[in-house]
Amino acid sequence: MRCCSFTHKRIYYLIGIVLLGIILFVAIPAFAQDLTDAEYRPFPKIGSRSAAWIAAQLHLLFGSFILGVPMFAVIIEFIGWKTKEERYDRMAQEFIKLCMGAFSTTALLGGVLVFILVWCYPNVMKKMSGIFGPTMIFYVILFFGETFTLYLYSYGWDKMQGRHKGWHLFLGVLLNVWGTAIMFVSNTWLTYQTSPAVHWSKASEATREKWIEAQLANNPEATRSEIVQSVTEVLDKNPHGPVISLHDEVSGDFLGTVWEAVNNFTWMPVNIHRLIGNIAFGGSIVAAYAAFRYLVAKTEEEKSHYDWMGYNGNFIALCGLIPLPFAGYWLGREIYMFNNTMGIAMMGSLFSWLFILQAVMIGVLFIGANYYLWSGMGRVSDGEKYARYRPYMIAIIVICIAIWMTPRTFSSISSAAELSAMGGSNHPHLGFFGLMSAKNTVVNIVILTTFLSFLFYRRSGKIPTASWKSIGNIIISSLFFLGTVIIVVIGILGFVVEPATRVNVLTPWQVLVALGVMVVVTIIDIFMYRKATSSGIINWGKMTDRSQYVLILLAITFTSLMGLMGYARSGLREGWHIFGVMKDSSPDAHTPSLSEAVNMVSIIMIIFFALVGFIFWLGLWGDKKKQTNVPMVETAAADVSNSRDD
Amino acid sequence: MKNVIIKIVGLILMVVSFIAYVAKADAFPIASENLVPWSVWFTIAVLVNMVVWFPVMKLVSFSIGIIWFYAFIAGLMPDTSTASGTLESLDWDDPEGVAEIGEGIFNTKGQCAACHTLDTSAPKGRCPDLSDIGAIAASRQPGVSSKQYLIESLYEPAKYLVPGYGKIMPEVWKNPIALTQLEIEAVIAFLQSKGGDIDPTPFDEPINRADADTTTVALEPLLTGEIEKGKEVFIDTACVSCHAVQGVENPQAGDENVDFEVVTAPELSDVAAVYEMRYIEESILLPHKEILPGYGKVTITAQGIIYDGTLVSQDEEKIVVKTKADDGTETEHTIRLSDIDEEPITDLSNLLEKGYFTITITPAGSDTPISGEIVDEDADTVTVKVGEETQIVSKTDVKKQMTLIDYSDVETVGEHVSGTRDDAEIVMIVDGVEESFDPFDIQDVITAFAKGRKLYERSPMPDNFPDLLSVKDLANLLAFLSSLTGATATEETTTEDVGEVISE
Repeated sequence: MRCCSFTHKRIYYLIGIVLLGIILFVAIPAFAQDLTDAEYRPFPKIGSRSAAWIAAQLHLLFGSFILGVPMFAVIIEFIGWKTKEERYDRMAQEFIKLCMGAFSTTALLGGVLVFILVWCYPNVMKKMSGIFGPTMIFYVILFFGETFTLYLYSYGWDKMQGRHKGWHLFLGVLLNVWGTAIMFVSNTWLTYQTSPAVHWSKASEATREKWIEAQLANNPEATRSEIVQSVTEVLDKNPHGPVISLHDEVSGDFLGTVWEAVNNFTWMPVNIHRLIGNIAFGGSIVAAYAAFRYLVAKTEEEKSHYDWMGYNGNFIALCGLIPLPFAGYWLGREIYMFNNTMGIAMMGSLFSWLFILQAVMIGVLFIGANYYLWSGMGRVSDGEKYARYRPYMIAIIVICIAIWMTPRTFSSISSAAELSAMGGSNHPHLGFFGLMSAKNTVVNIVILTTFLSFLFYRRSGKIPTASWKSIGNIIISSLFFLGTVIIVVIGILGFVVEPATRVNVLTPWQVLVALGVMVVVTIIDIFMYRKATSSGIINWGKMTDRSQYVLILLAITFTSLMGLMGYARSGLREGWHIFGVMKDSSPDAHTPSLSEAVNMVSIIMIIFFALVGFIFWLGLWGDKKKQTNVPMVETAAADVSNSRDD
Repeated sequence: MKNVIIKIVGLILMVVSFIAYVAKADAFPIASENLVPWSVWFTIAVLVNMVVWFPVMKLVSFSIGIIWFYAFIAGLMPDTSTASGTLESLDWDDPEGVAEIGEGIFNTKGQCAACHTLDTSAPKGRCPDLSDIGAIAASRQPGVSSKQYLIESLYEPAKYLVPGYGKIMPEVWKNPIALTQLEIEAVIAFLQSKGGDIDPTPFDEPINRADADTTTVALEPLLTGEIEKGKEVFIDTACVSCHAVQGVENPQAGDENVDFEVVTAPELSDVAAVYEMRYIEESILLPHKEILPGYGKVTITAQGIIYDGTLVSQDEEKIVVKTKADDGTETEHTIRLSDIDEEPITDLSNLLEKGYFTITITPAGSDTPISGEIVDEDADTVTVKVGEETQIVSKTDVKKQMTLIDYSDVETVGEHVSGTRDDAEIVMIVDGVEESFDPFDIQDVITAFAKGRKLYERSPMPDNFPDLLSVKDLANLLAFLSSLTGATATEETTTEDVGEVISE
């Protein structure tokens, strides 16, 4: 029972009492009113939207953490089992301990969110539960499964060692299945609010028939043959057919089935986006936790352990970060497919500046991640041999990020005189950097540069023994050079070809070239360094304090990005609870400005980190009481082939 | 002890300045004229805390500093809110305060500033400048007060169109703008404050709020077209030869053998951001119905000279027409409306629609012609303003002027008495004498019921343009036009733009 059940129960009760107290304090005056049949019931002091926003965002942040951490914890446990290295097993267990602390808080916040929604938005909840009732029952079953599996997985860790390890790993996998299923189910509700429609091809015969009947009832001049003909015309061009609403556009009645509501346009893209995002987020929070423990560590052993843990957390976060843009692309594409106007609002008008802020944050992530890798080379004895490349690499990254941050037009931030001097809302020179072709190009170059940093880190402390190492290095250098040239040439071509050619041909080729370079270089590098000799040791625990602050910076930036994207996804509905079906007629029926939203996200983040810090502190307290030994990390010469953890 | 005080002050300053920044509080006054923004105080506090505190507090300060940094960057970016807040009441004891609220709505939720200017020296907006609307609103329509004029203009924008401007303003009380009555009252107060007195008198809305849910979403066609195919239509039907769109090239640009006249037409790069789709659709199907100022073609005769060119501007007394000589030289002509030559009116139906603005007409049984400005008309009558009075004249019971042209091209003009070309004779009074003419000798007959001055502005778009489009072409073209939102942070609104959606 290493996982200190009393400590977690204490957390559970303590936070629960505090949250309940806050809610009761602010809500008592409102509860005193007679609002039995009200369409909306105001949440006192801060307003209904703010209350729901805070509860939902906090629930989501904690949820992401507890769903993301078990994914890589079970993988690390598996690595430890196969390599027989206990330190992996201990680290995985430590991750799950953090997860246990956050689990009860997630559940509590979920309950708080439901209470707020039921109290403040009774009609919305009535409508949603009317459609999604069966999924809510399923959710409860999954939640029980998740809870008991987590308890078994966590409390059974020490008992299920040796010959039982396989069963323990099975529990870890099962835990992830439950967790993923829970997220998929809850995603159905929020994605449905955004895109309550399906393609004709995905609708059942009964739904199609109901939809046609609704069209006939709402358009007295239309005939059935005309409607069928119009659907057929679309089917001739697109095998999925037209987009059909799952509601009668006039009465608002639900026309579809539960599965159709679940399988709406944005459900699966959001599922995949969040699944990957959870890994990145979980990794970054773990890394931040390790950084905190590193900075307050009293002994060299502790420093070594948490340096190692921070490195692994950051590595996991980067692994999640790289594929996220592709999932984001899919999600955005589905939004355009569902409703072109919504897509335009997202990328072209209402939220266009949000994506400039997003570029700032992603710039911070890449610069921070590179900085951490470069700092990491300092802990390897001969790692400094690559230091001479750093100024050039940071120059490339900073220039690329600056291009990525360039707005397309300057109309909303320029005076009339400035616009006149520019000859319009596009800057005569910088305007080119605002185009997608330029942005796609620099993103690929930033990814290649980050990969190069990682390659240097991987090579630190090793001397290749392959006879063809010189040729290998020439090939690798040529691949980087040629790849960059091709990416730039494709980017320039993107300015002169039709958008469709750029979207369907050039952009995928840019990505393929970048991925191709990384894959081929990795293969060559692995063979080159297969029998490498060691030229230095990894001095775990010898990182600068600055590098640990970078890990915290990355965690905060990840969290900000999640909050910001949540604002975009939710704000896209503008004045609707369910887009096109149920209007929002509450006082908050508008999309707040970017600065308002970021202010709110900032407040939520402070609450989140305060809660996380409190939970981690309680965990630390419990650990101290039990005098748990910090696992040792070897600081001797690194095993070139295995212990670099890369 | 000194260190402890610095620590505590640093901590308090960090917390206070963070809250003040997020709450958008006024800058902290350290001197009467030297205000230090909360952002500066916050930065100082974080730096102090990073120096003086122990590691955990350093981490806390650093973390709050990063969180604040992103809020600070976001605060520098343009406001993207779709609302100006919720108005629950207006304090009419402070009319200037109400006007201030109205100004906020004018610039944000109302989206008025997207088209109206408040500065006469600014480039001409899509809609009239309102810098002195409070002073001139009362004189816009006879018998309509300033406030009533503004009320009706906001609720029914097409009711009083300022000459030279099209019917492009949306009904702001409907979705998606959906101003409440209180918000509209505040906007009216703001508009009245622009050169006039604010009238706090309450009013009843001249509309039915139950219609407010009629959204553009609901009006969207059942099945939309495809953007890329619409772009092909845009190029193939030569729209691109006159209308510029960023990112769309005219394939025939620079070709010397182009056999169509290159004319200037409104740029459409942001057409979907400015106009409703129904208006855009109407502009394609009925090209002459609403024409943007400065883009209409006119042909008029004034004092015997024919002007064929573009109508640059127009007011109640004069017009400015820009003509283009064969050598490409452009000349602007200012022509008084009273100098436009009268021309015979052979058909009295739809006079205003045809561009007639004055008429000279003689009722049957009268020898005195009535001459004046056409104020109104229906199928049977025309209302003419003569001096300060208005007269309603029948369209059917009027004296006809007849012009007979013989085979020697000699014209004889007189008042028609009887007969047509199908009869045995045509009888007219010429110079006071009744005369009879043999239709056999007449080459052509022109019958005019009146004379009038006409200013008919037409679109340069071909009359048969809608006929060139199939239903699918039109749907695709509309889909393409709906994607042109102009003021964006991205290049165009295709699905490629979504690549930046990174994480949630």
